[in-house]
Amino acid sequence: MRRLIIFSLIIAIILSGCSNKAVEEKAEYRWVYSGEVTTLNYLVTSSTNEFGLVANLVDSLIDYDSYGVVQPALATYWSVSDDNQVWTFKLREGVKWYTYEGEEYAEVTAQDFVDALKYILDPANESRTANIVYSVIKNAEKYYNGEITDFDLVGVKAVDKYTLQYTLEKPVPYFLSMVTYVCFFPVNGQFLEEVGEEFGTDNTKILYNGAYILEVFEPQNRRVLVKNENYWDKDNVHIERLVATYNSEATTLAPELFLRGEVDYADISSSILSEWMNDPERSKVIRPNRTNSYSYFYAFNFDPQFAEEYEPDNWKRAVNNRNFRKAIFHAFDRKAAMLTQEPYNPENRIHNTITPKAFVDLNGTDYTQLEPLAEISNRDSFDEAKALEYKERAMEELEGIVSFPVKVLMPYNTGSTDWANRAQVIEQQLENLLGLDFIDVIIEPRPPTGFLQEVRRAGQFALLECNWGPDYADPETYTDPFVPTGTYNKPHLAEGYTESNGKTRYENLVNAAKAELVDLEKRLTLFAEAEAFLINEAFVIPYAVGGGGYVASRLNPFESAYSPFGVSSERYKGQHLLETPMDTDTFNELLSKWEVERSKALKNAK
Amino acid sequence: MFNYIIKRFFQSLITLMVVITIVFALLRLMPEEGYFGEGYEKLDEQQREAILTQMGLRDPLHKQLLDFYKQLLRGDLGKSIIYRPKVDISIILKDKIPYSLRFGLSAMALSLLIGLPLGILMALNHRGFWDKLGTAYIVFINAVPAAIYYLFIQVYVTGIFKIPMLYSESNPLSWILPTISMSLGSTASYAMWMRRYMLDEMNKDYVKLAKAKGLSGPRIMLSHVLRNAFVPMVQYLPSAILYTIAGSIYIESLYSIPGMGGLLVTAIQRQDNTLVQALVLIYSSIGIFGLFLGDILMALLDPRIKLSKKAGAR
Repeated sequence: MRRLIIFSLIIAIILSGCSNKAVEEKAEYRWVYSGEVTTLNYLVTSSTNEFGLVANLVDSLIDYDSYGVVQPALATYWSVSDDNQVWTFKLREGVKWYTYEGEEYAEVTAQDFVDALKYILDPANESRTANIVYSVIKNAEKYYNGEITDFDLVGVKAVDKYTLQYTLEKPVPYFLSMVTYVCFFPVNGQFLEEVGEEFGTDNTKILYNGAYILEVFEPQNRRVLVKNENYWDKDNVHIERLVATYNSEATTLAPELFLRGEVDYADISSSILSEWMNDPERSKVIRPNRTNSYSYFYAFNFDPQFAEEYEPDNWKRAVNNRNFRKAIFHAFDRKAAMLTQEPYNPENRIHNTITPKAFVDLNGTDYTQLEPLAEISNRDSFDEAKALEYKERAMEELEGIVSFPVKVLMPYNTGSTDWANRAQVIEQQLENLLGLDFIDVIIEPRPPTGFLQEVRRAGQFALLECNWGPDYADPETYTDPFVPTGTYNKPHLAEGYTESNGKTRYENLVNAAKAELVDLEKRLTLFAEAEAFLINEAFVIPYAVGGGGYVASRLNPFESAYSPFGVSSERYKGQHLLETPMDTDTFNELLSKWEVERSKALKNAK
Repeated sequence: MFNYIIKRFFQSLITLMVVITIVFALLRLMPEEGYFGEGYEKLDEQQREAILTQMGLRDPLHKQLLDFYKQLLRGDLGKSIIYRPKVDISIILKDKIPYSLRFGLSAMALSLLIGLPLGILMALNHRGFWDKLGTAYIVFINAVPAAIYYLFIQVYVTGIFKIPMLYSESNPLSWILPTISMSLGSTASYAMWMRRYMLDEMNKDYVKLAKAKGLSGPRIMLSHVLRNAFVPMVQYLPSAILYTIAGSIYIESLYSIPGMGGLLVTAIQRQDNTLVQALVLIYSSIGIFGLFLGDILMALLDPRIKLSKKAGAR
């Protein structure tokens, strides 16, 4: 009898020891970081670090699910007027603001959104996101620069306690994606007045209506986020505590700490990646990281302002020849360049268009697969034969006009460790393929201080690696660098593209697309045409998207909200802490599955 | 003495003002892009102007300088503009100084406790075992870059003794290594100089006279040699004590101690003008005041030292 009892006790203990895939609700997620946030004032900041933290503390009107389908959040219902200029949001009732101690402060109302915009549009508050607001909201810019002083004229109104209305300058098809950004977050006006200038200077000086409350905020030391027990969607928050510790050597120490079980996340930098990949134990705990919507491309400069020794006039004549550009366009081996950053999985990041894939879609078809862009998206630009063909034609056409080899000034930022390597790889690769009789690539190290101002904006380059991140979920955002007001490579100065209305072809294509504010299919197709033109004329060479690399992590990236733009993807809500870190095979499996399901979900969402 | 102090005080003020003005001007030569961080690209002209105007950077230089002095006279160190915007600098410092002070002062106490006796021992044991051992230690510390032995200690000693690698408020074991590491350099310094001053004194004529008079060895050492050797040492002490608030940049970053160490460097990199100015002001004042205190201490200890010029002195 006694033996039986002991035996069953043992069985019970063994069975209770068996844990399932996801750890139970009392989960704690820990990591180290080396970039400290400077402020919690979400109405002022545009730094990813900062809005990444705030996204977990304050909710927005809408949110995204893990496939990128819009979901109600603080707003339960929304509609747009017939002229597409007035957006009305019905707020979720009963959502409260809480202090850092978890005490109820007030209810979230439509007025909170009005107060937020009033604060942002006051230049004295130094908001970095004011221009995003006044690019769309009626009269916002006039209020910002003092042309009008009555805030009631600005296109934001609290119609009643739970009804919010935004009036736009003109129809904006992507407006819904913009309200997920920090500049459209709510703030309690009374609290803002109480704390005044100190708003956001520490965790006691903001209010919380999101999934987490910032319990501990010790800059340069640590921060602790705890689940907001009164959160309106608390059943979807599975990780109870988030603990982040500051260490300026975080990039070096994190992998070691991960192995010792002291943290649950570590970036595996390319310098230690091969060591980890070759170790049978360690290779099992790392996986690729998802790419993001930062777009990287190589730009030909049509307005060279560099020193005489690099022959800017010669460059200008050469770059205006289409065959010259196409020769370099097809000669550029992007995989070889990417190997300097992603030795194990270069294809993960290499990208064929400026607008990234999985950014915007049309009823389930990705924008990059729309007819004008599909061919470009599905083939690699690197083509030796074509490159040499274009080289011949260029040399023929430019004989007597340009002196060969053409000097190609390609600066790089010495602050980036792998950029120096990449520049050398590209120099060698291009010169070997096209021959030193055609081009002479000159790489120039430039210091990180003021790099953008001194190099790119000052036109001191012939060919330069540039990048651009989206401001909203619409391909229009990726045309900003290339229109005449852009500060990149000034393609509008390219000769031979001016049309009868005095503008260049690309400008006209983009303007036609921008003018299409109602028919989404037509709009996206027109943008795709403009982008296809930009790439086919080789004004730029699309290179890669950001993100990537490898990480050791106990989170499932496919559980998090997916938003190619905005703060939703920074939220920990909806995620579970995994028992064991995900490995590469599982990641790739889940990624393919996700792509299929996303396409389905987007189709069904319409 | 009193006149001397007044004169010295005014000299210090002028030095301070020169330093501040130079740093002030240099900071404003930095590229404007640096004030905006990663969001620079996305801002338009209007916003950039508005932000720079709010930061006071669009006012003429002399107005900015005057505003700064006016603010200082009110006792206000100002608010940070980039590191932690709108936060009083005094609050930022208040959080960090205690950590640096704690480690700095303990390390200094440790180095005095070990360094001074070691130096004395080396002098007494001239060319003997202790002298050779001490010299080996001093040479090692001066020859090997600090970064190397700090790192070595952190990685290996933590492993052998199972001490945590990073500093943690709650675990006193983690406080030992940073303190010891910080004291190593000063110990060598104090030992070396103590030894040198003592040897200098020991070779002077009055010591021979004292021996001839029949005074005992220890008596000579303590009341004469040591007392005199200590005078030049003492001028460094006030500066050293005061400078502990600057923290040790490398040790603090290695052990994750949230002290003052990296603050000035970070502030300069981020172009947080107000923070840099406040820190430069504090560190310069410390330096000047420390030197001043050192001189006074020396004069107090050694009646032969006259600080002011005597009329008709030869």
